Amino acid sequence: MDWKRTREPADAWRMTDDLHAEHGKGDPFAAAIRATRMSMIITDPRQQDNPIVFANDAFLRLTGYERDEVMGKNCRFLQGPKTDKAAVDKVRAAIEDRADIAVDLLNYRKDGSSFWNALYISPVSNDKGELQFFFASQLDVSDRKSSEHRVKADKDRFEKAVQERTSELEAALEAQTTLLHEVDHRVKNNLQMISSLIIMQSRTMKDESTKQSLSTMLARIEALSTVHRRLYQSKDVSRFDVSDFARDLVSDLLTASGRSEIKSTLDLEPIVISAEKATPVALMVNELVTNALKHAFKEKPDGTRAGRIGIKMSQPDGHFNIEVSDDGVGMADASGDASFGMRLIKSLARQLRADIEWRDAGPGTKVIISMPNEPQQKGNVS
Amino acid sequence: MIEPLKVLIVEDEALLAMELEGLVEDAGHSVVGWATSLTEARTMVDTTAADIAFVDIHLTDGPTGVEVAEYIGQKKNAMVVFMTANPKRIPDHFAGAIGVIAKPYTMNGLTSALRYLQEGVRRPPPVSVLPSGFTLSPAFETVWASSGA
Repeated sequence: MDWKRTREPADAWRMTDDLHAEHGKGDPFAAAIRATRMSMIITDPRQQDNPIVFANDAFLRLTGYERDEVMGKNCRFLQGPKTDKAAVDKVRAAIEDRADIAVDLLNYRKDGSSFWNALYISPVSNDKGELQFFFASQLDVSDRKSSEHRVKADKDRFEKAVQERTSELEAALEAQTTLLHEVDHRVKNNLQMISSLIIMQSRTMKDESTKQSLSTMLARIEALSTVHRRLYQSKDVSRFDVSDFARDLVSDLLTASGRSEIKSTLDLEPIVISAEKATPVALMVNELVTNALKHAFKEKPDGTRAGRIGIKMSQPDGHFNIEVSDDGVGMADASGDASFGMRLIKSLARQLRADIEWRDAGPGTKVIISMPNEPQQKGNVS
Repeated sequence: MIEPLKVLIVEDEALLAMELEGLVEDAGHSVVGWATSLTEARTMVDTTAADIAFVDIHLTDGPTGVEVAEYIGQKKNAMVVFMTANPKRIPDHFAGAIGVIAKPYTMNGLTSALRYLQEGVRRPPPVSVLPSGFTLSPAFETVWASSGA
């Protein structure tokens, strides 16, 4: 056998083999290495193909070979079909570089079964720095490897499941968004069509009071439409800028009335209310301004019909206040509780938990509405 | 007295087209045609002389309003105003259009828009205030908005 032809250092190991017979009496370190449960071998890089020159019993137990089957052979007989070639290359490179290496390799026993080998190799040099041996230890880490594989498989499975669920949710969200846009589009078109029907019907009416009713109805529907349009044009569909709305509404109603002699005074703080309050507030403001336009500015004693409508919106601590005032003929001539508009205002006020008060402003009337409003940042929503 | 406008309506909803026609005529302008699709609109653009086209984005043959605007832009014989419930579908460059009137518009909002457009087409830039519900395209905003309000 090869080791018989080797020079002194290898012979030294042969001598430790002899120690085997004297069990425990010779070199205690050599005895310890022979008897340890850790699998260990020594190879001789100075011989052709770096053969094994020593293997302990633990190595033989781990690999299932007899001692004479492994002595003098290069360790590559432990490799098999599923051994990672890249890991083997690392080992080869480390041996060429005479460097330490620790690597997990899939190795094969004599019976063909495989095990995960946590291989550690280190070079051993003499005092002159000449390479003498490689010392290698092997540890069966198949259990650790299989749990590693299980953990990785679990992780992969979870990641895949999360990814699948995420894309399902994204698709669902996209479908919802499309649906929302579609519904919004239809609501807007339908509101527009309701207005159109009223306008066209009104055009054919000869009776002035019927025309008047239709135009009041149109103003209410347009107030609803404008709320919807503004809500869905803004970035946040849950907040409504009521001051911007009021500004447009007053200009719309004044122009629609054709009463250019009536001027408006607006004192509007930027106020944002929640979307569910937007419609009742808008309808209420619409009624108040419409009412004032309709009833306040009858011919005055001095013969003119000119006048001024004022709207003030403010938010003193936790409240939202609206004041609609006119300098018209005053409350005496305002229509009574029986009118539909008035009932509408009162019902909407109840819905909004608002206090409403009519004051004689002499001249004219002032309506003050005050409702609780949650604390909020000032500014525009759009 | 400024010369009234000749208006082309490109709108797939008959009711809305009818009402728009009424409002346009009430304001003293005239309607030269009504198209409900891209194909009809092309023919109409080729055979009539309009000053302004009100173009809905969604027509009977799909969301082809932008193409209508582009066609009119190539012909250079009318100006376009989009009229849609879905202003988000208008491209950023507005396909050369003046702007958009978002549906639902109010009767007065439209009447004011007609006056504003009449000034803008006949004696630009318009002197009236930009009506509520009317959004100018970025290109027209730089030319018209500064002078109006």
